Order: sequence, then structure tokens, then C-alpha cells
Amino acid sequence: MILRLLLVFALPFTLVAAAIVRAPQNPEPPEHYLVKVNMQGELLGAWEGPWSCVCDKRSGLLWEVKTDNEDIHDGRWTYSWFIDSEGVANNGDCYFELNRCDTEDLIRHTNRERLCQAGNWRLPTLSEINTIISKDNKPGSPTIESEYFPKTMRGDYWTSENKQKLSGIYRYLTVGGTAVNFIGGDRVTIPYRNAAFVRLVTSRSTACHKAPQ
Amino acid sequence: MSNRSKSPSWILLHGAAVVAVTCSLFSGLRIATLDKPALITIAELLPQGEVHTVHFVSAILLSLAAAGYLISRIPYFRNLPGISTPKPINYHRLVTWGGVSLLITSLLSGWILFNGLGPLPWLRSIHFCSAIGLVFYIFMHGGVYLMQFGLRALPFILKPSLPKRQYLPLVSLSLGTFSLGFLLVGSWYLIHGYSHHPLAVAEISPNTIINIDGMASEPQWQQAQILTLRTDGGANFYKGRSDVQLKALQNGQEIFFHITWQDPNESLAHLPLKKTAEGWEILQSGYKIFDEKRHYEDKFAILLSENCSFAAAGTAHLGQSPLADKPANWHGKGYHYSTSEQVHDLWHWKAVRTNKMHLADDNFIGKPDKVRPGARRYTAGYQQDSKESGAYRMNWKWYSPTTITPKRLPAKTDQLAPYQYSLPHSQSPDWTISWFDYQPYSSSHDQFPLGTLMPSVLYTSNRFEGDRADVRARGIWRDGHWSLELVRKLDTGSSQDIPIVDGICMWVSAFDRAQIAHTRHSRAIQLSFDKTL
Repeated sequence: MILRLLLVFALPFTLVAAAIVRAPQNPEPPEHYLVKVNMQGELLGAWEGPWSCVCDKRSGLLWEVKTDNEDIHDGRWTYSWFIDSEGVANNGDCYFELNRCDTEDLIRHTNRERLCQAGNWRLPTLSEINTIISKDNKPGSPTIESEYFPKTMRGDYWTSENKQKLSGIYRYLTVGGTAVNFIGGDRVTIPYRNAAFVRLVTSRSTACHKAPQ
Repeated sequence: MSNRSKSPSWILLHGAAVVAVTCSLFSGLRIATLDKPALITIAELLPQGEVHTVHFVSAILLSLAAAGYLISRIPYFRNLPGISTPKPINYHRLVTWGGVSLLITSLLSGWILFNGLGPLPWLRSIHFCSAIGLVFYIFMHGGVYLMQFGLRALPFILKPSLPKRQYLPLVSLSLGTFSLGFLLVGSWYLIHGYSHHPLAVAEISPNTIINIDGMASEPQWQQAQILTLRTDGGANFYKGRSDVQLKALQNGQEIFFHITWQDPNESLAHLPLKKTAEGWEILQSGYKIFDEKRHYEDKFAILLSENCSFAAAGTAHLGQSPLADKPANWHGKGYHYSTSEQVHDLWHWKAVRTNKMHLADDNFIGKPDKVRPGARRYTAGYQQDSKESGAYRMNWKWYSPTTITPKRLPAKTDQLAPYQYSLPHSQSPDWTISWFDYQPYSSSHDQFPLGTLMPSVLYTSNRFEGDRADVRARGIWRDGHWSLELVRKLDTGSSQDIPIVDGICMWVSAFDRAQIAHTRHSRAIQLSFDKTL
């Protein structure tokens, strides 16, 4: 009789009690090769913020994160390609320069600021920027992991490659720079004077070397 | 226990009732978690996924068993003498009659709910209480038999009586099972295929101008057929209930809807920001788990699909983790997603975020999205159509349940004057703020007094453009009702939309200052393009 009592009443009661005690667990972020880094160079969890940079554990590169607060990292600002007197100066649009903007302006300001406690910020090479292209995105989103790289525009982003031969309607300008289009992740060669977007990178950061491998 | 074995028909009907009640209880309690959060505490015991179909099929089986039982009793009633001798009352007889009463209540209330008739919140409570009563009944009936007789009770309900020709009970049991199965499949086919609410879509001339202003003042609306639908199970409203009225017109190129629904208040204070001694806070009660039910805008959702299955074209999958290989949801209610390649159109009108754009957010439900590690909220198949530009933005740099830093502050302090009323009675007409009338946040500009309220929805330069802007819509609230007009091309050509043709199905849901806790209805609405005005 005691066994029957246990089976009929105690077992279901125990199951209900166990279900109540074992409350469903909240979701946890999965492991990922991208790590958020805040302005002070500290690593953040995948669902923490705000963050100013992203470390890619695969490449060891630290990437600038764009904003919409009208500071120097605002994702809407555009730049003409200009480095070491090569290219076209001040032909992009931003709010942080008295004149218009070029790539060297953003690099100078970012290094002065020591974004994420890192220096040596520069334009990425084509192969470097290709490492953050992600093509399996939500409809209409740029070809990048927007959850880590918000405010990315569906447009051209400069690389460090210059003196590239122009063709078609730009042939008369002879050479230009290489950019990557974040609509489809394609490489394009465009004149230096073009106003394109920029995402800086550095390979010399303490933060990214601290990221768990 | 009587030594008399039971007849094959009794065993069949009792077995069917046991299976049906068990399936109904588990699936029904899972459905009840949508508007009874306390049940989440036992969610580990409840099934997950597309449980509505299980619930409806088990309801049909239980109804057939009940009908079969009544039919099997006809000879008994016919043979009753003028004054029958009442059987002695004992514990099991009393409990059985109690159980029968609960089953009748459960079936009646369930079918009335399914049909959307009667005072839904009360009926839903009665349906829920009868289910809880049935749980106790199972223990008092089956449990006590097991206590009394142990496993010896099982042959009594599973083994038919054996007359001289022993194969007969088995034959009749097999025939009965086959007949019951045939009736179950047939009933399901009829209910699944022919229980829709028809909505006549009247044809109008392409030259007729319909202003999408929420007023529905054109004479064509007066002539259009009205479909009235009772929806319930949402947060707030009238005990979670809102009656919806729908009208539809089409001109060969576009389809127009005029929808009105009950809502006691116009809720526009969408996650407002409040200045406190610690800084700015978002007024919220459940936003952290994506289930805000207090400080949110009113909304209305329309799902359109070529699939007319129950549970919103079979897209409603309940539970915290209905997808084993995908992240759990925070609120434990479930996900919408498609189990095939089929895309379902979802229009999501929002009283603050899209109404000023004169749009409904054109979304869709597709296959479960891939897991995106940086996204705290996984939405499975619920996704937005692509857009070229335009958006609203929330006025915080990073969400926190405690304090946040606004992205922007008013350029002039008097810009916040219209919002300084005690919530929720504030009736400011516009709870959006203009990006360009505000300036980037800086602590030096943040000199607002404690208690200051500020809207959180920032409009940037323009409205949505592209696929996401395919549905023009405008709603106005008046005298306890929202009145919403919508229009979309019958065929947008987009892979994220479905062409609207004769016979497609539709579901509607109203939200009263709630993020996801929407009202619902069981039977699909089916569009019928057969009337010319």
C-alpha cells in the first residue's frame, strides 16, 4: 500500500516540485570569435555594452566600431582616400573637421584619442577587411555581423590599397584606391576623391591579445 | 471493484478518453502559459512546439468518445422501467459523476472558445478551472483505483470480457478502433478545412480613391461586409479581450483593410525615459525579458498566409525552447517560425513607431534564423523585410534595466514640456522626437530636473523605404476604439511578401501597451474575392 501511495501521489507531487525548483534557465551567449572591447580596452561579454572596438580572435586584429553620436567614429561620416600626400584630401563629409574629411583625418584623431587604449590605427588591407565580411545576414543588412558592428552602412569602405588602375568612366583619373562594398562584400576600385566609409583597424592592441583564444 | 469485465466498446471509449484528456491537459496547460505566467513555474513538465494542433485533435477525440458513450447508453435508457431503481451511491460513483461534469464543462467551454462566441475571458477561466478540476479528478478516480487494487486494476480497463467465441471482443474492438480513427481523421479534415471565418473582399473601381487616414469615410467602406471577431488572451484591454471588426476592398491592384478594435486607452508612452537621482531610466516592467506590458505603445498585427492551419498558419510554437538547436527565449512563451520554406507575411502596425510614418512595419515569418551570437534576443522566424533606408531609433546608447545614457537631448528645454504629465494619463499627441531637433548627449547639457519625462523614439530623416515600406497604414484612436486603414499591392513581387489572392488566410492580433502579449483567435479568416460594389 505504501508503494502504491508513493507511485500514485508522491511521484507526481515530486515531479511538480522538481519542475518548480528547476526554474527554466535564461539564455546564455554562445562562444564566438568576435569579442567586444570598451573604450578603456576592457573585454566585454557578447551581450554587454557599450563597446567601442571588436577584437577578432581569428586574426588578432582590433576593429573600430561605428556610432551614431556624431563623434569622430560616427558611421555616417565619409572620407576621401588620402594618406602621406597620396590621394585627394578633404573630400568626404563629417562634423569633426573644419574642412571636409579624408582618411588621414580619422586616423590622426583616432590615434590621438587612443581608441580602446590602442595605437597604430590604420586603414585595413583588402585581405584584412575581407575577414569581417559575413554574407549570411538578415534581409537588407550589410554583409557584416551587425550585432558586433552596428551602424555599418551598405556602401563602400576604403582599404589601404592605392595606385590601383581605374577603368570605365573613371579611366581618365588613371589610379584610385580599393574599397569593399558591404552590400555584397565585393571589391571595387574607385577614385580617391570618392566619399566612402572607413573602418579602421590595428594589429597592435593589448586588448586583443588579452582576448581568450 | 466489480469482477465484471468491461465490454469492448467501454474499453475503447475509456481508452480514447484517457488519451484525449491526457493530451488535452498537457497541451492546454502549455497554451495557458501565454496569459497565466504562474504556470511557467511548471513549464518543464509541459510539451513545447506546435501544441495547438495536439489540443484541437484531442478535443475532437474526446468529443467523439463522449458522443460514442452517449450512443452506447441509448439501449440502456430505452430499457429503463418506468421508475428505475437507483444504484447505491458510493465514492467512485460520486467521483465519476464529478468527472463527467468536468468533462462536459471542459468540452462545451472549449468548443465555444474555438468558435469565438460568448464572453471569452469568463469562458477561458471556466475552461481553465475545469482543466485543473480534471487533474484532481484523475487522482481521485484513477489514482484511488490504483491505490485500492494496484496493477490488477489495469486488466479491468484494458481486457474485454470474454464470451465463448473469444475472438469476437477482439474483432469488435478492432472495428471500433478503426471507426473511431476514421471519424477522428474525418472530423479533423472538416474542422481544419472548413472552419474559417469568411471575409468578403469587395471589388471597387481602380479609379476610386481611398484615403489611408484611419477615418474610413469613403462610401465604399459603408457598403463593405463586416466581419466581427472576438479575440482574447492579450495583456490589458478588457480582461485581455478585444473585439475586432474587419472590412476589405480590392481594386485589382491593391487591397485595402479597415480594422477597428476595442482598446480602452490610447497608449503612446512607449518606454519613456525618466530623469532620476541616479540618471536617466527607462520606464519598464518586463522589457528586459522582451515582454513589456505597461510602458509600451498599442499595436496591431496581421498575418497573411497561403497556409490556413491552426496556430497562425502553424507558425506558433510554444515554450521556452521549442527549437532544440536554437537559443531559448527569455519570456518562456515561444517563437513564431515556419517549419518549411513557406513565407508568411506579417504586418505590424505600431501606434508610435510607424503610425507617424503612415506605415505598418512589413515583416515576415520564415524559417528559423541562424543564431547570431551578438544578439541577446533571438526571434526565430520573425524577421523584418529588407529596407533601403529610414528608421526609428531608440534614445539610449545601450539598453540597461537600471540607468541608461540617452543618445540625444532636446536642444531647447521646453521641448519636453508636453510630456510632463503623470503617466498613463498623458495624452500628448506625438511621442516621437526628431533626431535633428535634439543634440548629442553631453553631461553639461543634461540639466533637466528630476522626474523629467522624455520620449524614447527618435525619428531620423525619413520613413522606411524599400520592401519594409510596402504597407501604408494610418490609425486613429477615438472613444475606446482604434480605427486603422491599411493598403498594399496585391502582389509586391518581393520574396518576403506573399501575393494576396482569393482564398488566402489571415489572423489578427491586438496589443494594448504590450510588446508581445497579444490577443488571438483560433479559426483563420479566409479572404473571398467574389463581390463587386
